[in-house]
Amino acid sequence: MFKHYIMIAWRNAIRQKQFTILNILGLSIGIATCFIIGLYIHSEVTYDTFHDKADRIYRVNQPNIWEDWKGVSSTTGPNVAVALREDAPEFEEVTRILNSGTQIVKTENEDQTNLYKEEQYFAAEENFFDVFSFEFLKGNPKTVFAEPYSMVVTAKTATRYFGDQDPIGRTVEVRDYDGSWKTYTIKGVLADIPYKSHIQFEVLISLKSFSERMEAHGWKWIWTAFSTYGLVKEGTDIEELTAKIQEIPPKWAPPTTERIFNQTFEEFTAGNPWELRLQPLSEVYKSGEPTMHSFGPTGNPIFVKIFGAIGMLVLILSCINFMNLSTARSSKRAKEIGVRKVLGTKRKSLIKQFILESTLFVLIGTVLAILLVQFSLKAFNTIADVNIELIPHFSNPSFWGIILMFVVMLGLISGSYPAFYLSMFQPIETLKGKVGERFKGKGIRNGLVVFQFTISIALVICTLFVQKQLGYTSSLDVGFKKDNILQIHNIEQIGFDTETLKAKLLSNPAFSAVGKSFGLPPNVWSGDRYKTIGDKDDVVQLRNLRTEEDYLDLLGVEFLAGRNFDASRSNDKYKVILNEEAVKILGWGDKTTYKTDSPIGKILAIASGSEDQFEVLGVVKDFNINSLHQKIAPLVIIHHQNDKVWDYGAGLSYYSMRLNSMLVKNPDDLQGVIDRVKQDIAAIDPAVPFEYSFMDQDFENTFISEKRMATILNVFTLMALIIACLGLFGLAAFTAEQRTKELSIRKVLGAKVSQLAILFSSEFTRLVVIAVVLASCMAYLLVDWWLQNFAYRASIDIWVFIIAAISAIAITLLTVSLQTVKVATSNPAKKLRTE
Amino acid sequence: MLLQLKNVSKWVQSGGQKIFLLKDINFWVNEGDFISIMGPSGSGKSTLLNVIGMLDNFNEGEYSFLEDSVHTLKEKHRANLYKQYIGFVFQSYHLIDELTVKENLEMPLLYKKFGASERKSLVGDMLDRFNIVGKKDLFPSQLSGGQQQLVGIARALIASPKLILADEPTGNLNSKQGEEIMETFTQLNKEGVTIIQVTHSEKNMKYGSRVINLLDGSVV
Repeated sequence: MFKHYIMIAWRNAIRQKQFTILNILGLSIGIATCFIIGLYIHSEVTYDTFHDKADRIYRVNQPNIWEDWKGVSSTTGPNVAVALREDAPEFEEVTRILNSGTQIVKTENEDQTNLYKEEQYFAAEENFFDVFSFEFLKGNPKTVFAEPYSMVVTAKTATRYFGDQDPIGRTVEVRDYDGSWKTYTIKGVLADIPYKSHIQFEVLISLKSFSERMEAHGWKWIWTAFSTYGLVKEGTDIEELTAKIQEIPPKWAPPTTERIFNQTFEEFTAGNPWELRLQPLSEVYKSGEPTMHSFGPTGNPIFVKIFGAIGMLVLILSCINFMNLSTARSSKRAKEIGVRKVLGTKRKSLIKQFILESTLFVLIGTVLAILLVQFSLKAFNTIADVNIELIPHFSNPSFWGIILMFVVMLGLISGSYPAFYLSMFQPIETLKGKVGERFKGKGIRNGLVVFQFTISIALVICTLFVQKQLGYTSSLDVGFKKDNILQIHNIEQIGFDTETLKAKLLSNPAFSAVGKSFGLPPNVWSGDRYKTIGDKDDVVQLRNLRTEEDYLDLLGVEFLAGRNFDASRSNDKYKVILNEEAVKILGWGDKTTYKTDSPIGKILAIASGSEDQFEVLGVVKDFNINSLHQKIAPLVIIHHQNDKVWDYGAGLSYYSMRLNSMLVKNPDDLQGVIDRVKQDIAAIDPAVPFEYSFMDQDFENTFISEKRMATILNVFTLMALIIACLGLFGLAAFTAEQRTKELSIRKVLGAKVSQLAILFSSEFTRLVVIAVVLASCMAYLLVDWWLQNFAYRASIDIWVFIIAAISAIAITLLTVSLQTVKVATSNPAKKLRTE
Repeated sequence: MLLQLKNVSKWVQSGGQKIFLLKDINFWVNEGDFISIMGPSGSGKSTLLNVIGMLDNFNEGEYSFLEDSVHTLKEKHRANLYKQYIGFVFQSYHLIDELTVKENLEMPLLYKKFGASERKSLVGDMLDRFNIVGKKDLFPSQLSGGQQQLVGIARALIASPKLILADEPTGNLNSKQGEEIMETFTQLNKEGVTIIQVTHSEKNMKYGSRVINLLDGSVV
C-alpha cells in the first residue's frame, strides 16, 4: 500500500509539473531560510562551549564605577581576583586577563627585522590554561606563564613571525609604554583560536611581566582594566556564592578609595552597591551584556530574536503555500478521490495518504534546502559577517534527528489541511466533476493568502523604515563638518614632541587645517568626575576631550560664549571649554541665560582626588562626540598641555587634517596624500605604526550592525515576498480553474477581455488591500519599537506605507497576470461545452 | 437572408491526419426561420452552432452574416457582431450562481453599455414577459430547471437579438418543462425572432420549420 501511495504521489507530481515545481520551490526556499537562521542562532548560542569546564566558568562583572553605577562593566580592578582567592574557597581557580591595547612586536628572523602591530595582544595569568581549554600545539600549558616575559602565540602568528621554523625558545621584542624594548621568550604555540570564542587573541603574555606595575599602583580596586574569571568547584551553589562575595568590596576597597580619592568607601559609592555579579561563560557572548568587553565579539540578542522570528514566519509562509497549492490542485485529484471512496477507501486512510504525500514533498524540499543552504552559506556569511558552517553538523547524529523530526512535523502540519479538505469530497459529486463548483474552504484559503501578504508587506515596510532611519542618521548634522577629515593614529607613540610632525603636516598644501586631539568623535569615551566650586558641590560625570586649540577650529564647532584656547596665552593651559549640556548639568543655565549670567569665568574642579580647579573659558554648541544612538553627553574640553588632569600622558592621541578639496579631488590624489603622511611619520620614527581613518566613515561605522541587519532583512524580506507570490500564483491558478465557467458565460454575453481581466484580478487586489491595512498596523508598532533604540529618529511617514501598498498591488497584478490573460482570452466555447 | 455558410469545413490535425469536425457545409438562414439541427452524438451539431455563433473558428469556406463576411473579420469586430445580433441559450443554462435572476438578466446589458434606467426597464419588461417577476431576487439554485432555462432564454433575448442559438435547450429538463420551453420558442419565432436549435429529440424537431441533419460533420 505504502509503495502504491508513493507511486500515485509521484505520478501526480509528474503530471502537474507546474504545481509540483512551485510547491517544492516555495517549500525549499522556506526551509532553507529557516535552516540558515537556525544555524545562525545555533552558532550564536553555543559560543565558548568548547572549553572543557565551560559550565563551571563565570566572569565577574561589577557596576561601572566611572559612570553612574547603573551600567555594568565586564572589567574589574586587579584585586577582585586576589580577594576572591582569599575569601571564596568555592573557586577552584580565579584568573585575570589584561588587555593592554595595541602593541608593537619586533622580530629578528634570518637577519631581517620585522615590526608587527598586534591588536589582539593580552596578558594572562599562570593558571589561565587551567580554566580555559585552548588547544596547545607546542609547549606545556602548566608552565608556559610561570615566569615573566613569557609569550604564547597562535600557529598563524608563529608562522608570521618565524615562517616554518620552530618558534619555541625564540625571542621577540615588544615596545613598552615608555618607548623602551622588552624581550619576551616564546614558550608555547596554540592552535588558532576557534571563532566561537569571546576571547580572541593572537599573542598572550604572562601577566607576571607587569607585576612591578601592578604592585606600584595603589589603585588595586579602581584600575578597572582586568577581566576576572572564576572556575567554581563542582556542585557550588552560585546564588549562595554570589551573596557571599558581596562582602568583598566593602571589606577590601576602602584603602584604595581613601588613598586615591580621600573618600570613605560609602562616600565613593554614594550609597550604590558595589555588586560583584557572576555571569556564566555561556551567557558572556550571547547576552551581549555588558555591551563592551575588550577581548572579542559580543552577541546581539535582539538580532537573534528578530531573525528567529523571521525564520519562523518564513517557514509558516511556505507551509501555507504548500497548503494553498495542494488544495488548489484538488479538483484535479477529485476524480481519484471519488473512485477511491466508491471502492471503499475510508476517510482515515485517505488522510494518511495525503499526509504521507506532503511528508514526501517536505522531504524533497528539505534535501533541496540543504543543498541551497550549502551553496548560499558563503554569501550569507559575508553579508551577515558571521562564520556559520553546515558540513560539520553532518557528522552529528542529533542534527539528523532534528532534520527528521522537522520533516515529519512539517509534513504533518502542511499536509493536515489538504488531507482533511480533500478527503471530505462526496464521491458522487466528484465523479460527476462537480467538485469546485461549490467548493468549500475558499474563505480559509483567502485568509491564508491575506496572512502571507500581511507578513511580507509588513516586512517590506519595516525594511523601508530601517533604510530610511539609516539614511536619516547619516545625513544628520553632528554639529561640525565631519566630511573630508583625515585622521592619523598612534601619535602617542611619537612621544610629546610632535611639533616636527605638525610642521610637516602644515606645510602640506593638501591640508587646510591640522589639529591634535586625544580622542576622536564618535569615540570619545574617557570621562571623569567634576564638581562646581562655591554654592553647592554636586559631583557630576563629564566626558573629557583633550585637544589643541586648532582642533576645535578644524572641526568648526560653534562658540556660544567665551572663546577658544589661544596658543599665545600661556594662562589658557589650565582653563576649560564646556559644551551646552555640561553647562546645563552643572546648573549654570542654558544658552538663553549666558548673556545675563555668563558661565565664563566660573570654576570647575576635579572631584576625584586632586581637587584642582579650572576656569571656564568658553562654551561650545553641542556636537556629537558619540554615535547618533546616544544623546550628546556633557563634555569638558581640556587644553592639550593641562597636566593637572590625570589622564595626561596616558591617552591615545591623533592628528586630524581637513583635506583641501581643491587639491584632493580623486582617490589617486588621496592615496598620494596618505603616502606622503606615511613617509613623514616614518622619517620621525619608523617604529610608529601608520594607521589612518576618516571621520565621516567612523560615524558611518557606528551603524554597522544596523546596516548588517538591514542587509539581512532585505534578503529575508525578498524570500518572504517570493514565497507569498508563489502562494498567490497558486491561488490565482486555482481560482482561474474555479471561475472558468462564469467568466466564459460573461464573455459569451459580451464582456471584453479587459473587463474580464479587471474582474478577475480585483479579487486578489482586494485580498492584498486587506493585507496592506493589517501589515501597516503591524509594521507601525514594530518600527516604533525599533526606533526607540535611537536618540535621533526618522519620522514614521505615511508615504512609506503608500509606496509599500502600491508596490504590493503591482506585484499582485503581475503575479496573477499570467492567469488573468489565460482566462480572459480563452475560448469560451471550449469551456461551456455541454457536459 | 440573415446568414449564409458556403463550403465551410473545420478540422483538427491528429497524427498527421485531418479529422473533419465539419465538412463542406452549405447552409443559409432567412430572417424568421426556426431551424432544427439534428444528428447523433459527435456529428458536429454543437460545433456548427458555435461556428454560427462566432464562438469558434473554421478552417475553410465562407460565412456571411447580414452584409458582413465573418471569415474576413477581425476577432474584435466579430465579437461586436455577435454581441449585437446573437443570443445564446445553453443546455445547462449557464446562469451565474452568485448572481440573482435580476442580476443575471442585467449582465449582458452591462457589457453593452446600456444606461442604468434603460437596464432597469428592459429587465422589468423581460421579467413581465416571462412571468417571473416574483422570482427576480432568487438565486439560480433556488429555481427549478425549467425556470432556470426560462431565465436563460430571457437573458438571451434581453438585448433584442436577431438570432437565438439554442444548444439542446431542453436536454436537462423533464418533458413537461421541455414542452413549455419549446412553446416559448414558438411564440418568440412568431414574434419575428430567428431561432436555430440543436436537438436530439424528434418531438422538439417538429417545432421547427426546417431541419438540417448532420452525420460525421456533413449535411445529409
